[in-house]
Amino acid sequence: MRIGVYICHCGLNIAATLDVEELRRFAETLPNVVVARDIQFTCSDAGQNTIKSDIAELKLDAVVVAACSPRLHEPTFRRTITEAGLNQYMLEMANIREQCSWVHMDSPALATQKAKDLIAMAVAKASLLRPLETESVPVSRDVLVIGGGVAGISAALDLANAGLRVYLVERRPTIGGYMALLTDVFPTNDCSICVLAPKMAEVYANPMIKLMTYSEILAIEGTVGHFRVTGVTKPRYVDPTLCKGCINECSSACPVEVPNEYDFGLGKRKAIYMAIPQSVPLVACIDTNACIGCGLCAEACPADAVKYDQQAEEFKLDVGAIVVATGWQPFDASRKEEYGFGRYRDVVTTLQIERMLNAAGPTRGDIVRPSTGEIVRSVAFIQCVGSRDQTVGNPYCSRICCMASLKNAQLIKERYPDADVSIHYIDIRAGGEGYEEFYLRAQRLGINFIRGRVSSVEEGEDGLYVHYEDTLLGKTLMKRYDLVVLSTGLEANSDADVVGNLLGLSRRPDRFFEIAHPKMRPVEAHIDGVFIAGCASGPKEIQVSIAQGSAAASKAMQLLFKGEIELDPTVAFVDRDKCIGCRLCVDTCPSRAISVKDTAFVDEARCKGCGTCAAACPVDAIEMRLFSDEQILAQIRAATTVKGEYPFILGFLCNWCSYAGADLAGTSRIQYPTNIRIIRVMCAGRVDPSFVLEALRRGADGVLIAGCRIGECHYVSGNLHALQRVEVLRGLLKEIGIDPRRLKVAWCAASEGDILARRIEEFVEELKDLGPVGTELAAALPSGKV
Amino acid sequence: MDGEGFTEEVIKLAGEEIRTCIQCGTCSSSCSTAHLMDNSIRKLIRLVLEGRKREALASESIWLCTSCLLCTVRCPRGIRPKAVVSALRNICEREGISSRDASFERVFMDQIRSRGRVSEVLLSAAYALRNPDAAVPIMEMGIELLSRGKVSLDPGMVKGMDEIQRIFREFENE
Repeated sequence: MRIGVYICHCGLNIAATLDVEELRRFAETLPNVVVARDIQFTCSDAGQNTIKSDIAELKLDAVVVAACSPRLHEPTFRRTITEAGLNQYMLEMANIREQCSWVHMDSPALATQKAKDLIAMAVAKASLLRPLETESVPVSRDVLVIGGGVAGISAALDLANAGLRVYLVERRPTIGGYMALLTDVFPTNDCSICVLAPKMAEVYANPMIKLMTYSEILAIEGTVGHFRVTGVTKPRYVDPTLCKGCINECSSACPVEVPNEYDFGLGKRKAIYMAIPQSVPLVACIDTNACIGCGLCAEACPADAVKYDQQAEEFKLDVGAIVVATGWQPFDASRKEEYGFGRYRDVVTTLQIERMLNAAGPTRGDIVRPSTGEIVRSVAFIQCVGSRDQTVGNPYCSRICCMASLKNAQLIKERYPDADVSIHYIDIRAGGEGYEEFYLRAQRLGINFIRGRVSSVEEGEDGLYVHYEDTLLGKTLMKRYDLVVLSTGLEANSDADVVGNLLGLSRRPDRFFEIAHPKMRPVEAHIDGVFIAGCASGPKEIQVSIAQGSAAASKAMQLLFKGEIELDPTVAFVDRDKCIGCRLCVDTCPSRAISVKDTAFVDEARCKGCGTCAAACPVDAIEMRLFSDEQILAQIRAATTVKGEYPFILGFLCNWCSYAGADLAGTSRIQYPTNIRIIRVMCAGRVDPSFVLEALRRGADGVLIAGCRIGECHYVSGNLHALQRVEVLRGLLKEIGIDPRRLKVAWCAASEGDILARRIEEFVEELKDLGPVGTELAAALPSGKV
Repeated sequence: MDGEGFTEEVIKLAGEEIRTCIQCGTCSSSCSTAHLMDNSIRKLIRLVLEGRKREALASESIWLCTSCLLCTVRCPRGIRPKAVVSALRNICEREGISSRDASFERVFMDQIRSRGRVSEVLLSAAYALRNPDAAVPIMEMGIELLSRGKVSLDPGMVKGMDEIQRIFREFENE
């Protein structure tokens, strides 16, 4: 192995603190190093050209750049060495700027000693690097969209219009979702179905979209590029190719009436029915739970479309990507017993008032008291029913209810100007384009805004009594209304559990699907090739759901357009001779990339390279390609060859949060003691117990494992596995006579450089109190000798 | 400042959740004695968070709570308003802040200490002695109740008074 080492001055950023000349002389003495140079700016063209010509002339096999953080310039130098003919993975960086010169500005001598260790560690790892090949595999360019609400419709249309084939699968007999059932929509008060119906028709007409309504997903196998999907289309008992959608002929013949779920129980429908007049496809459907099999509909149908012998049909798809747009479900208002929903007929929900306001709804647009059928003279809206409420396990804000009630209150006030319309609220949340103006309009219309959460609703002889404190007056009051509308919140759709489990999607504590990053990756799932749009990942207004549908479509296009995808080679692989098939790795893998048939097998397209499995494997049968046990142990040994400081700490920091936090401490010039040598791992879960034991055995006084904050792991659960392992390790250390306090964990976000620096400071102090490693062993022996 | 450490003490006694109060008023409007209170329970929590010790402890509302716990069951933030009331009562007691209704509590506890239970007659008499201006209405109501046989003149005593005494001793030792 022939290695070149390049030490960057970075102007004075490094050279002002570290003795670069000495570092260069030191690097020359390291094994396998054939050339060591110091360069003013290594990332400049001149600097990169020096590396390139050395690779050519000195026949270098690997390159070590001691400069800034690999998080900054690793891609740059990988490109540099690729251009000179080396494999891009034959590069290792020593972080002597963010994690050395910038954080130890007052201790140049100790900082230079630390930089030497960092360079020696990098050279040790570089000596064990192997070229890795990036493999390209062909993919299916078809996309499955699950859920035909407005988000799914938006995704399907964008994908189809870009030329990709789309399978749109919807559970219900029609697409359109909840939006198709609403009356007017905020903040423009235009008719919901009028703006949605053309899109629904477009889906039906688009030759690139295969629409599969009344269908469910049964199984999903495979990975990004090739998901093999099995589903079933339930029988409607109506032939879609024959049905003309006239619906009146058959349904008026039907003698069975049941509550209409599309009116949320307010109206009735027949056993043969169409969800809404604008249903897509425009095909009737027989509800087998209600049908008594009298055969009258078949007789009445002029097109002979009713087919009682229709069977469920299974379908199989091979798709490259999946868009999950499974939507939401309304909070069950009867769970708030004090509001009387389900007991008092005049207590209704937001969705019921939407249907009442709808000209095509059960009351043809009249707002009436369900108990008497009279037009209302006073209406109360009660906000935050099932939202912002820990007593029902929903601490989150449902985000749309304020605007929905503002809108419905306006519609009622416009239709009945003399009616007393009040909104009982905690906070009005009207953040969005035109939303505050919408609130202003509601106030101008004469709608009462009463600040205070309603504690209970009681039914009296002449109406409903609402109890509340007007918190702005400081008075507890009671007010009578004809009608009470509970502004019910949005919950995660429990019907989506099947799809979530099949795909291995993770859920947030609020039970909605979790996205890959709560800010930066809004429509990506943790699983490659799976995207989430709309309310499946949390409550959203229509506008945002549409935007997310488009965003998910665009992400799927990026992935599939080339027709092939590159697989990242820095993943796990299994040595089948060593594997004992214990399945521990299967349980630790957050990406569900490992399966076991006699021995374990890693699906490299699914693996994200966290390395938690490698640390968990009891027989070391799993290895990481870029963070191998061998490479990390070499770094540990190089760091502990000269123990230049006391106390001496080895740190294992996860790439995404704590290593990035350490970099931030550098860019913020937060100073901390020089006693730590940091080894970068992809996840805290990668830290194998053998790393800790080897570090302590080689004389490190303490070991720090730092990862993302609990609950924020980049790989979902890697840090939890790390924590578990640390607990066990501490017990083990105690047993062999080492003070378990020598193993410390720290959880910090990438933005918490100061916290990381403080943890290091604290650890140094704690270790000073404990004394050098091994003193506890000496103290335990009666002779006082180790 | 008069409320130095006051907020922290109440939080220690009644729970960290107090800090998350959104002043929605569910507690006050659920409260069966809210109409008698000078400061609603919602406002009491605000006074606590603002460190307004004097105002909070002077509030008669503290002594009107019947411990029905509806506030605690319904609070959407998981706060225990009843525990806030108890905390304020404890602080009043410790600092010797007297109020007519606090004196009622003392008379009440004295009865428990000596007989293990409360006798309406003895309780009313002891309370009237301490609060002469309340004596006449209490006497009027007493005569009414006696004439209907609603109260007994026999004060009674519970079994196991030594156990009661032990509870009091243990509490005082704490």
